[in-house]
Amino acid sequence: MFKPMSAGFRSASPVLLFLLIGFAAPLLAVIWFSFMPPRSFSFGGAPTFENYRTIFESTTYISFLWSLGLAVTTVVLLALICYPVAYGMVRVFGKWAMLVTLLFTIPLFVSENIRLYGWVLFLIKNGVLLGTLKSWFGFELESMLFSVPAIILGMVYVYLPFMLFPMTLGISMVPNETRDAAFDLGASRWQVFKEVELPLSMPGIVIGFLLTFVLAIGAIAEAKVLGGQAVIPITQDIEIAFTYSQNWPLGAAIAVLLMLIVGVLVVLALRRFDLDSFLGRR
Amino acid sequence: MANSTKISRRNFMQQSALWAAAFAGVGTLAPGRAMAAREKELNILCWEGYNSAQVLDPFRTEKGATVKAESLTNDPTMINRLRAGETNVWDLINVNNPWAREVMFPEKLITPLDRARFEPFFDKMMPAFKPPYKWAMDDSGTQLIGMAQRFGPYSFVVNMDKVSRQTAEDQGWNLWNDPAVAGKYGILESDDWNVFNICLIAGFDPFKVHSDEEVAKFKETAERVFKGAKVVGDIATMNQALISGEIDFHMTGGTYSASPARADGNPNIRGITPKSGPMNGKGGVSWIEITSTVNNPQLSPLAADFLEFVQSPKMSHTVAFAEGTFNPVAQMGNPECFNLFTKEELDAIQWDSLEEEMARCVEYDIVPDYAKLLDIMTAAKRAASGG
Amino acid sequence: MQGAEPILSLKAVRKMFGPQAAVDSIDLDIAEGEFFTIVGPSGSGKTTMLRMLAGMDTPTSGDILLNGKRINDVPANKRPTCMVFQSLALFPHRTVGQNIEFPLKIRGEDPERRKARALQLMDLLRLPQSYYAKNVLKCSGGERQRVALARALAYDPQILFFDEPLSAIDYKLRKTLEKELKDIHRETKKTFVYITHSLEEAMVMSDRIGVMRAGKLVQVGTPQEIYSTPNTRFVSEFVGDVNVIPVTLGSDGLLHSPTGATYKPPRIPPGFRDGHLVIRPEYLKFLASPGEADNAISGSLYNEYALGSRIQYQVRVGETVFVVEKLRQQPFTGQLDDTVTIGWDAQDAILVTD
Repeated sequence: MFKPMSAGFRSASPVLLFLLIGFAAPLLAVIWFSFMPPRSFSFGGAPTFENYRTIFESTTYISFLWSLGLAVTTVVLLALICYPVAYGMVRVFGKWAMLVTLLFTIPLFVSENIRLYGWVLFLIKNGVLLGTLKSWFGFELESMLFSVPAIILGMVYVYLPFMLFPMTLGISMVPNETRDAAFDLGASRWQVFKEVELPLSMPGIVIGFLLTFVLAIGAIAEAKVLGGQAVIPITQDIEIAFTYSQNWPLGAAIAVLLMLIVGVLVVLALRRFDLDSFLGRR
Repeated sequence: MANSTKISRRNFMQQSALWAAAFAGVGTLAPGRAMAAREKELNILCWEGYNSAQVLDPFRTEKGATVKAESLTNDPTMINRLRAGETNVWDLINVNNPWAREVMFPEKLITPLDRARFEPFFDKMMPAFKPPYKWAMDDSGTQLIGMAQRFGPYSFVVNMDKVSRQTAEDQGWNLWNDPAVAGKYGILESDDWNVFNICLIAGFDPFKVHSDEEVAKFKETAERVFKGAKVVGDIATMNQALISGEIDFHMTGGTYSASPARADGNPNIRGITPKSGPMNGKGGVSWIEITSTVNNPQLSPLAADFLEFVQSPKMSHTVAFAEGTFNPVAQMGNPECFNLFTKEELDAIQWDSLEEEMARCVEYDIVPDYAKLLDIMTAAKRAASGG
Repeated sequence: MQGAEPILSLKAVRKMFGPQAAVDSIDLDIAEGEFFTIVGPSGSGKTTMLRMLAGMDTPTSGDILLNGKRINDVPANKRPTCMVFQSLALFPHRTVGQNIEFPLKIRGEDPERRKARALQLMDLLRLPQSYYAKNVLKCSGGERQRVALARALAYDPQILFFDEPLSAIDYKLRKTLEKELKDIHRETKKTFVYITHSLEEAMVMSDRIGVMRAGKLVQVGTPQEIYSTPNTRFVSEFVGDVNVIPVTLGSDGLLHSPTGATYKPPRIPPGFRDGHLVIRPEYLKFLASPGEADNAISGSLYNEYALGSRIQYQVRVGETVFVVEKLRQQPFTGQLDDTVTIGWDAQDAILVTD
């Protein structure tokens, strides 16, 4: 089926070349670097597993677990928050859906860090929230800033659009007549949801899950800014390796492991939730 | 019917992801190097401040030059950028005192300056910088390898409403050895300085090779100090947390970090230099920035011009109060420069106690077993995060 | 035909969308086992009416009675009626079998009985048994029609509603499916209520037809009645090409056209003063002499069109164009641009108001 120099291949070759240079090459560089001797700065060293051994012998697994845990929590919370909102945007809000979309979109134009610092000012002791409570109602609460809940709050806040919009798309892909038909055939509202709406909006839901999971596992700013480094996510270990520690090969090795873990999880998810079968193409 | 449409949703997603990655990749591939004539371009690798428009714009206007400056927040990163081959990108590098003399010059990452042209500037600096100034000279004492400007003591910062200056200076690093302070302090995310300070809290000199016993003490101290920290963060977070009352004091800090808060109307935030400590009796560490010309095969002639440019009283004052952070500069030894500082500005940089604080400091140096200690500290941070 | 109590009754049913009446005071009785078709151009309110009948919309006023009971507020999933949608609304993530069994599954029937019933219905609709596990998206257009119908029949409704299910299908297949649908109607003896914009489709299948225009039912009758005695110009034109002459009834008992010509009238409806004279093209004849028919006009032969078994001729009389149709076996022999005389017998024309 694939002739080596078919017209299709030839016209696709600039794109392939572009992908090769722009995507594959840096990736291979990172992978290769992860096998270089610790604290070296060139590609020329004798390949070694030293960096991987260092990782497995250290407590780096704690960071991996934190990143995974935070990402999973974020994705679950986002699913619970976004499905009703997305449902409302497609089926209930009507002309107000546009306004809701804008409310969720406009913050994306502001840098993530600035938004997170906004939350710091909101949550900090004597800040917007606690300060107001204190001066209006006279009671003083312990600040929740620099804690795990604050990190999760930040992640849910930052990644919300990435769950909401695929979900909205997924739900809007369910034809109205298909829902009407199920209802007309005797299904209750719940049965319509379970038998028709949920399975038909699955592609959007799965895309939202994957997107937010991949983004959330790479999160760093939330733990730093809102968490006050109460936990060290794996991305920060990578950052420390590349900066203060100046151990680039170690950083590369952690990055490769992270890519592996994410890759395996995504492939597993895609096998479990085969998007094609949701669309009825077996 | 859908047999013919083979572009499935999954394929589409994979393709999209590849495209996104490809675009991201391109960004990293283009570090913007122009190899042609470099008479009109200058690239500076520096600490925050020299990259500000207040400093660079007058130079751009005067020389009609294209000046690019990248700011980083730790020395090793900058130096390793040069080691990794970026010597042909940068013209000037601005790092803390020991690196030029002890690392970059021996490794031929930087080049000597014209002594006749630049040494006279040291004559006008504060007395401590009288030529030949140690950190500006190579080991042999013959080559001038950099220019001095910003400096300052850097130990820790307190909110004086919570901890008096007197108590803080007397207690020094022992402040962290009191179990009662757990949850009341923060830690600035400058991990290189944190290594020094954990050593000082543990009660030994950071700038030497450490015994196994000391390393064990370091580990125990690091775990305890990070466990007790309410927040680890950047300068803005530290100042915000101090002002709001989230924390009472924070490790690693000084004029460089506290001055923005002080200038912003919070004189109760103050950098502290301990009165005593384990470094031959001294407890504080100070830094002096040295700016050197990079060993660039096509070094821009503007590099030396820029070094000269920022020596003028007016530019020195601008550098001292560049956006982000405010610091004393060596050029304040020249009355022409000193007179440009207002009372408020002098207050922000704690001029009243600068001399005595510097006297209580040892100068920043390289920790021989830094890599080992940093790894221990990183693991301690992780353990503190609930492992 | 309407001896027994009607299965479905509409009493002054009205649906307002803002100030606009989409369905305007409709009264209608549909008998059990009837194949009733509502015809109308798009925007005439027929879909709105069907949605009210199926329970997906509620009337603004008036009543809908099923077996004599008011069902205005009974939701669609509680009504013993079922709809086949224009888009068919099959469940794309399900197989043919799962689609057909859907109402049975909802009802909680056990899987074996569900399957047996599904296979039985597939038989009825001439779907191969092997399709049971086939994905519905892999079925052809005609097969999908049958799956949708089977699914609706599995619900075992008292009334089946159809919302133009054949409108997106090509002509040849549509013709086949129209006949099949009529056969299924005969087999199942259920009441079918069908809406379409094609009177031709309605004629083929229906026992009775209701023509809708701007929210109102303008005429209800058998296909023959609608065809031969349309009660308005709108209905007459809806049936196909017709010749329409605006006329006024004179005191002389003749019909006067604005051009000054006079025609012998057919049976005059009571109270008729002015309106239109409608002559179907097959009732217009080429005349050798004007005396051969009650009414005659001269014009010039402009063109001819072959329409399958018939040939249509266009005759121009001044500004007016008349169409005449003859069977292919008996073509008119005149030449183009010849002056010809056409005419009709008075009783072959129809007088309609408005």
